[in-house]
Amino acid sequence: MQLISMQNSVPDSNDLHHQPVTKRAPGSRKAAGRALVLLASLGFLLVLLTQVLRTTGTIAAGFPDWRPILIAYLVWTVAFGVGQVLTRGERGKRALFLLPAVFFTVAVVIFPTIFGIYIASLDWNLSSIEGPRFSGLDNLRGMLNDTYYWNALGNMVFYTVAVLGEYAIAFGLALLLSAEIRARRIFRVVFLLPMMLSPVAVSWMIGKSLLEYRFGPAATLARYLGWDNPAFFASPTMARFSIQAMDAWVSIPFIMIILLAGLQAMPKEVQEAAKVDGANGWQSFWHVTFPIMLPVSITVLIIRIIFKLKLADIVINVTAGGPGGATDTVSSFIYRVYRDRSNVGYGTALAMVYLLLIIVLLTLMLRLSRRWTQNVA
Amino acid sequence: MKQQDHDRHSAVHPNRRTVLKGAASAAALGTSGALGTFSELALAQANLRAQITQIPGVGKGAPTDSDWQKVGELCLGPTKASIKEGEFKGVELSFMGLNNQNLHNLLFRGFLKPWEAYTGAKISWIDLAQADYNPRLQQAIATGTVDFDILEMGAPFEGDVCGKGLASEMPDWVKKQIDIDDYVDYLKPPVGTWNGKTYRVTIDGDCHNFNYRTDVFSDPALAKAWKDAGNAGEWGVPKTWQQVQAVTKFLKGKKIKNQNVFGYLDAPKPWGGFGFYFLGSRASAYAKHPDDKAWLFDIDTMKPRINNPAWVRAIQDVIDALPFEPADQLNADPNTTGFQQFLAGIGSMIPWWGDIGQVAKASDTSVIGDIVGFDILPGSDDVYNSKTGKWDKLASGPNHAPNCAYLGWGVYVMARVNADEKKHKAAWSAAAHLGGKDLSLWMVMYPSGFQAHRTSHFQYDEWVAAGYDKKYITSYLNSQLGSYNHPNRAVEPRIPGIFQYYSIAEDELTKIFAGKVDAQTGANNIAASWEKLTDQIGRERQIGLYKASLGV
Repeated sequence: MQLISMQNSVPDSNDLHHQPVTKRAPGSRKAAGRALVLLASLGFLLVLLTQVLRTTGTIAAGFPDWRPILIAYLVWTVAFGVGQVLTRGERGKRALFLLPAVFFTVAVVIFPTIFGIYIASLDWNLSSIEGPRFSGLDNLRGMLNDTYYWNALGNMVFYTVAVLGEYAIAFGLALLLSAEIRARRIFRVVFLLPMMLSPVAVSWMIGKSLLEYRFGPAATLARYLGWDNPAFFASPTMARFSIQAMDAWVSIPFIMIILLAGLQAMPKEVQEAAKVDGANGWQSFWHVTFPIMLPVSITVLIIRIIFKLKLADIVINVTAGGPGGATDTVSSFIYRVYRDRSNVGYGTALAMVYLLLIIVLLTLMLRLSRRWTQNVA
Repeated sequence: MKQQDHDRHSAVHPNRRTVLKGAASAAALGTSGALGTFSELALAQANLRAQITQIPGVGKGAPTDSDWQKVGELCLGPTKASIKEGEFKGVELSFMGLNNQNLHNLLFRGFLKPWEAYTGAKISWIDLAQADYNPRLQQAIATGTVDFDILEMGAPFEGDVCGKGLASEMPDWVKKQIDIDDYVDYLKPPVGTWNGKTYRVTIDGDCHNFNYRTDVFSDPALAKAWKDAGNAGEWGVPKTWQQVQAVTKFLKGKKIKNQNVFGYLDAPKPWGGFGFYFLGSRASAYAKHPDDKAWLFDIDTMKPRINNPAWVRAIQDVIDALPFEPADQLNADPNTTGFQQFLAGIGSMIPWWGDIGQVAKASDTSVIGDIVGFDILPGSDDVYNSKTGKWDKLASGPNHAPNCAYLGWGVYVMARVNADEKKHKAAWSAAAHLGGKDLSLWMVMYPSGFQAHRTSHFQYDEWVAAGYDKKYITSYLNSQLGSYNHPNRAVEPRIPGIFQYYSIAEDELTKIFAGKVDAQTGANNIAASWEKLTDQIGRERQIGLYKASLGV
């Protein structure tokens, strides 16, 4: 067979794909490459320095806006790529596959983050005629005394813990939909519908219509069932649960679909073996299905928590963080600081600290989950 | 008390009789040939005003885009007098404004379509929701990225825009075209000006008036129940906040036409800073002393007064009234109280801008129709004197201080058009068309987001001819005129970042209303945050601008 002959064949010495990287660029090309990168880098730094000096008012020369700096960066990236090919030959060509992604990440992730840290160190209110002023760690000190921020962080603990409830419901639904029930395909589509809706649409359709105190069908039903004043957003506790319920309604299908995929990938033999061993439904779930599903569960929980920590849209639209900050999230608070109060420096500082908290929290969670899944295994 | 002054002042303004007398005199002059062409022009203008106010006619459904275009077409006269057909061909203008309640920019599009067709200019539109307006404008100012030529803006932002040289000064021909002297007194300079230069084409006049349900306050059964409950005085429309509180508590659990009836509706939920005006309306009678122009800050230091006994009393009033309002009132913002509650027949008293009167009568969206009455905001039996730290009882009676909140919308042309003469003229022509004398009459009569702001808007017969009930419109316009001309009116401070102050206050107020902190503690927190903000923006500059805004 041809397949066998191919497998047994010795690599052809003319096959470029199987050749080790031995081609080196000649010395003159190397020098040209280095010179190109050096020149491009110097040019880019010169343009950047000129613009920085102009912005700080040190010199008059420069550009009216920062667009030329972006163009200079693009020119520098091209020159750097060409320089790589000239100096490193074949290896340089291979680097070209990776470099665009690196430069893109630097431009849209790393640079904005570093610039964000700089903004976070400024006292910058858009209404201030003096413009931004360097204030060191003042914004962080202000944050430590900001009861609204801590209140929002406290609420985030509630919303994050509530993910466990969402997970339990989603797992139940996933088990139901993986079972041999009638019309399960229709149910799968129907259960996925909430996930397809925009949270803003959900805010209006559910928060401001369905749950509306005067004419909302949910309020009417609640009255019919004996609740005199079905106000879903008037008391702090009720409002917090109502917001959580709406967010859960949107997000449970996401958790459910991932768990369903995990259940369907699970080997049937294991379940059957448990049955043969005389395990009942609960024992089969707790001792077999749940442990096998743990890696999938951890993954989906972490993804869901990341999304939950960014909760803002439903809160902004339905309660504006109220009553009394009961439903406020860190994101909705930062939104108010930044948008309603034009407090750019402080808002950025809050966002940076929150980013740091999320990174630390998720790193811890990943480590713990790894240890936990190893123990279970 | 200043009510008598206000009544006396109102009396000198045009009413049906004085208008008819004036018309008869003018006609006599016209027939005698004394005025000649002038009388023909005046007659033509009167005809035009009568014609446009019949489009579509009050009570004949909400106006549509074709109505706006018709009105825009009919009001092109002043443009045609100063601009040649096709003069602005090739000019492209960008207009930034609001789309609240599907009004504002949506109307402007219709009004300006015939203007575009005649002049040849093209306008592109940036539509913003109310809550997005402030941040969008602030960012454009701070980052130097003004990407619009014409701007719909409220006077509170004049400090941010005109103070930074971003607006174009109004040419004299525009002042003449829009008849700038026709504006009501309180909208004349310093409003619309900065350092003595005029920047604004006023298209709105703002004050909170008191809207109440006439059926509730004339209901015999409620009147009897009021007496039976041992309440003092006759059943009727409250004239003071003390009475508002008593009526609100009394109405809890009462019914009218088998429907639950509520009293005053507070708006505790934040509304992008605009919700603070509604506390301001409750507080002005307590906090604005006739001998003191300031009521929000101390005039020489910018020390906040929000935590003084007057403001704390107003906050406490809200706390006391909320249990007697609908069960979900804590989650109601002003949009809810105005459009989903009051106009839908829930509640019997709210403060609001003039929109309520327009929509109640001239829009399909209103349920209550014309069972609405209007007045200036209630007064108070006593008023806090910040200088002495004592409550004063005025010899003249209750203290009234109408809240002239926001000072209305205006159209501004941005300085970036100054470099291009043709564009500059086109932008100002568009602004002048929108702020034209006749067009403005239509705008204040029909749902538009704007209320009366010219002396000529208070010719009541024009409103009656358009279809308004005489009693209804007299009540509506008197409440506005009474607020504008009130000697103790509380005027909006036109200082930079004013909405930041309001937004901070809204956040703390929601904590107070939810019972997390008491009124005084919450007010102290607001004051502390306002002090920080003043320092951040620049105290000395704020003091100067605050004084200027109060005319000190």
